[in-house]
Amino acid sequence: MSKLTTGSFSIEDLESVQITINNIVGAAKEAAEEKAKELEKAGPTLFPGLESYRDDWNFKLLDRYEPVITPMCDQCCYCTYGPCDLSGNKRGACGIDMLGHNGREFFLRVITGTACHAAHGRHLLDHLIETFGEDLPLNLGQSNVLTPNITISTGLSPKNLGEIKPAMEFVEEQLTQLLATVHAGQESAEIDYDSKALFSGSLDHVGMEISDVVQVAAYDFPKADPEAPLIEIGMGTIDKSKPFLCVIGHNVGGVTYMMDYMEEHDLTDKMEIAGLCCTAIDLSRYKEADRRPPYAKVIGSMSKELKVIRSGMPDVIVVDEQCVRGDIVPEAQKLKIPVIASNAKIMYGLPNRTDANVDDVVEELKSGAIPGCVMLDYDKLGELCIRLTMEMGPIRDAEGITAIPTDEEFADWVAKCADCGACMIACPEELDIPEAMGFAKEGDFSYLEELHDQCIGCRRCEQVCKKEIPILNIIEKVAQKQIAEEKGWMRAGRGQVSDAEIRAEGLNLVMGTTPGIIAIIGCPNYAEGTKDVYYIAEEFLKRNFIVVTTGCGAMDIGMFKDEDGKTLYERFPGGFECGGLVNIGSCVSNAHITGAAEKVAAIFAQRTLEGNLAEISDYILNRVGACGLAWGAFSQKASSIGTGCNILGIPAVLGPHSSKYRRALIAKTYEEDKWKVYDARNGQEMPIPPAPEFLLTTAETWQEAIPMMAKACIRPSDNSMGRSIKLTHWMELHKKYLGKDPEDWWKFVRNEADLPLAKREALLKELESKHGWEIDWKKKKIISGPKIKFDVSAQPTNLKRLCKEA
Amino acid sequence: MVDTAKNTKLFTSYGVSTSKTVTPEIAAKLISKAKRPLLMVGTLTLDPELLDRVVKISKTANIPIAATGSSLASLADKDVDAEYINAHMLGFYLTDPNWPGLDGNGNYDTVIVLGFKKFYINQVLSAAKNFSNLKTIAIERGYIQNATMSFGNLSKADHYAALDELIDLL
Ligand code: SF4
Ligand code: SF4
Ligand code: SF4
Repeated sequence: MSKLTTGSFSIEDLESVQITINNIVGAAKEAAEEKAKELEKAGPTLFPGLESYRDDWNFKLLDRYEPVITPMCDQCCYCTYGPCDLSGNKRGACGIDMLGHNGREFFLRVITGTACHAAHGRHLLDHLIETFGEDLPLNLGQSNVLTPNITISTGLSPKNLGEIKPAMEFVEEQLTQLLATVHAGQESAEIDYDSKALFSGSLDHVGMEISDVVQVAAYDFPKADPEAPLIEIGMGTIDKSKPFLCVIGHNVGGVTYMMDYMEEHDLTDKMEIAGLCCTAIDLSRYKEADRRPPYAKVIGSMSKELKVIRSGMPDVIVVDEQCVRGDIVPEAQKLKIPVIASNAKIMYGLPNRTDANVDDVVEELKSGAIPGCVMLDYDKLGELCIRLTMEMGPIRDAEGITAIPTDEEFADWVAKCADCGACMIACPEELDIPEAMGFAKEGDFSYLEELHDQCIGCRRCEQVCKKEIPILNIIEKVAQKQIAEEKGWMRAGRGQVSDAEIRAEGLNLVMGTTPGIIAIIGCPNYAEGTKDVYYIAEEFLKRNFIVVTTGCGAMDIGMFKDEDGKTLYERFPGGFECGGLVNIGSCVSNAHITGAAEKVAAIFAQRTLEGNLAEISDYILNRVGACGLAWGAFSQKASSIGTGCNILGIPAVLGPHSSKYRRALIAKTYEEDKWKVYDARNGQEMPIPPAPEFLLTTAETWQEAIPMMAKACIRPSDNSMGRSIKLTHWMELHKKYLGKDPEDWWKFVRNEADLPLAKREALLKELESKHGWEIDWKKKKIISGPKIKFDVSAQPTNLKRLCKEA
Repeated sequence: MVDTAKNTKLFTSYGVSTSKTVTPEIAAKLISKAKRPLLMVGTLTLDPELLDRVVKISKTANIPIAATGSSLASLADKDVDAEYINAHMLGFYLTDPNWPGLDGNGNYDTVIVLGFKKFYINQVLSAAKNFSNLKTIAIERGYIQNATMSFGNLSKADHYAALDELIDLL
């Protein structure tokens, strides 16, 4: 390997010549490794590889939280030996069994998600270095710990854009190693695929962290700002009298040029710019660090993509990358909406006009000569999209283009329905469309209207309808009023949690006065509709949990109002505090959620971050009451985000559709030997309650998810006050949503002080009568019964090497 | 008698093996013969028509209920032997011969499922299908591929009628 390092030097005799070496492959990592040697204290896993976390941490997790495999399909169609029938855990022609194959399938989802975020990070990093230079400082708000995920993996703490490069290279190198293992005839053990998936999850949070910190720094996004501005959200917020530019995707790079062009040409109030998915969230963060009045709007999540296009509202659509539907061009073409592809990851087969003159491209698109084009030059992109929108608006208006059926068309379509039920079998949400059609025939449209929020806009129903009824348009037609009222507020993504907030909140979290952190993230593949996440957020906020949120979850929460017409963002503060609703940002901002948990360990408990994943994760698993909710997790990125939370000891509840990820991590609560840890003070084994009882599982309904999550915030090292507060919430929520007290509450009781205050006496009685515990009724004390002892100074750990006498 | 053995079109999953269709009569026989049956009930039983039939099946055949999702809320006051457990967790525990069961007396030999979205129960049962010998009988409105036995796709009315027939034969 070259001994040259990144930097610049000049040759003395040739005065006017300067050679700049921006990057030498491998050298950056070498420099980083040199630096790592200088670190005073570092853990054992700086620059980890495929095997680094396996024995010391991952297998420990997977021993308690066993992989639960639920195959999607009985076959393996991976190579030309096959297809093979693996049902009943048979082995295929290559020798892999059903467990191994499904471990591989899940792992493949995780590395795909990781690659998506990492590639997004690489794109932004290179673009921003080119635009702003390597020395642009990572100004992210009041924090010393800027990049906890990067630091845990590499030991590095970059302070500017250039210093991020070694971390980026590290992720890319490991991703190649990981991808190689998927090839036929490589890894075949399910458990090793799980260990590799967990590793990939940790890399994902590095990739996401890179994406978000560089955009926060370069684009002047809010910087750990609890009072970031409120942004308008919902389909109903679009002013249809103005030309409307609709952006879809996850990469804000190109959109900033459009916004700059709008601002330079004084167009911000003459047209609408709004988006779907994370590009929308991030465009609403652009230049908002000084809390200027925002003008960009958010429409919603991926489930609204087709609905918005079918509404005919957009005059131009721009896509970048990730979570973009594959049928946007044909759908948009029907309504004369030009589509601009702005990122090489999605080019849709469109003609590439990157090198063309903007005037010419505007003409080509306006005339309909081409349905859209690729435009990868951002300067031109900014001008093209805005000018085209301003021109297309009046043209499309004059033609009165919309896909919403007229009243007559609507009545005809409804009358045509043969009640065959094919659409219901095809609908991934199992919506009873035939029943709703039946009621519509009799003039009752309420059933059809109810489908609007539950429908994810996939159009599988239309594909199977023999009567060729445009079912999605029918649903939209009846939901026009509902859509017009879809207007809410979302706090602009505020960026990471500051060190000061961690210091202030750390004690409350450990004491239990803040009963836990609930992270609501992920996509819109809900089982019962968008409002589920609103109900969940509201319940936890009212109970003083900290609710952090990102991506589609953050949007959907803002879509609904209480009886006073207020959204949750207006009702609850935006700080990382008791009862705070903290919109961290877009999907890539999820790294700041794990980052917050890591910071609790680093700042509050003084644990070393550098190369120390196992110890940080061990601390979080035992002490930090946090639980994620990815209620509509649909994409591969959601699986990598969740798996990154899992390796760090943060459990996640998913919606019922996510059973299709094929893999969950659930512990056997009845196996007592699984529920033991060491006391780091003396290395002795100590029993713990079954908490948390899963790292990844699904719930059937939002009502079930709530008590599950409250329970998952219980941690082995809760003190008595914390335990009694957490038990109070969990038991109340269980009763409220499941109709009864839970059966297993007593397993979490170590002494009388752990019992919920309001019910202490009644519960003591139950412990005596049902479980045979001895109670001293004079002192209202438990004399004997609990299997678990409580000792305030105990230091629970799963890592024997942390024990003093180990 | 409702013909519950036709229309086995499926959209939720695919593969080489699909469940055998059963009539209410055969389902009733299998349930009656089971040594340690469990009625696994999902949240769609919040529908009063379905709830009523769940209660009847449980009482007539004396089968305990695993109330998953938020179904316990509607079963709590129905004087049936019902206990809450998460469906995914239950699906996993059912594959473990050492699971003590909901009552501490050991794992079950037959699980009857009712009241789920197809896509969800189908995934949960795919673990049991591939990694255990458990017999699972789906008496749902939709055809459940990964059950051992299942009704075909039925209309709402036929489904209720089929369940009534089954109850009569228990
Ligand atoms: S478009 Fe809506 S109603 Fe149609 S299949 Fe998809 S989710 Fe179901
Ligand atoms: S199965 Fe998934 S990847 Fe395939 S078409 Fe459907 S949504 Fe797309
Ligand atoms: S597929 Fe078409 S005709 Fe058949 S029930 Fe659905 S809407 Fe009616």
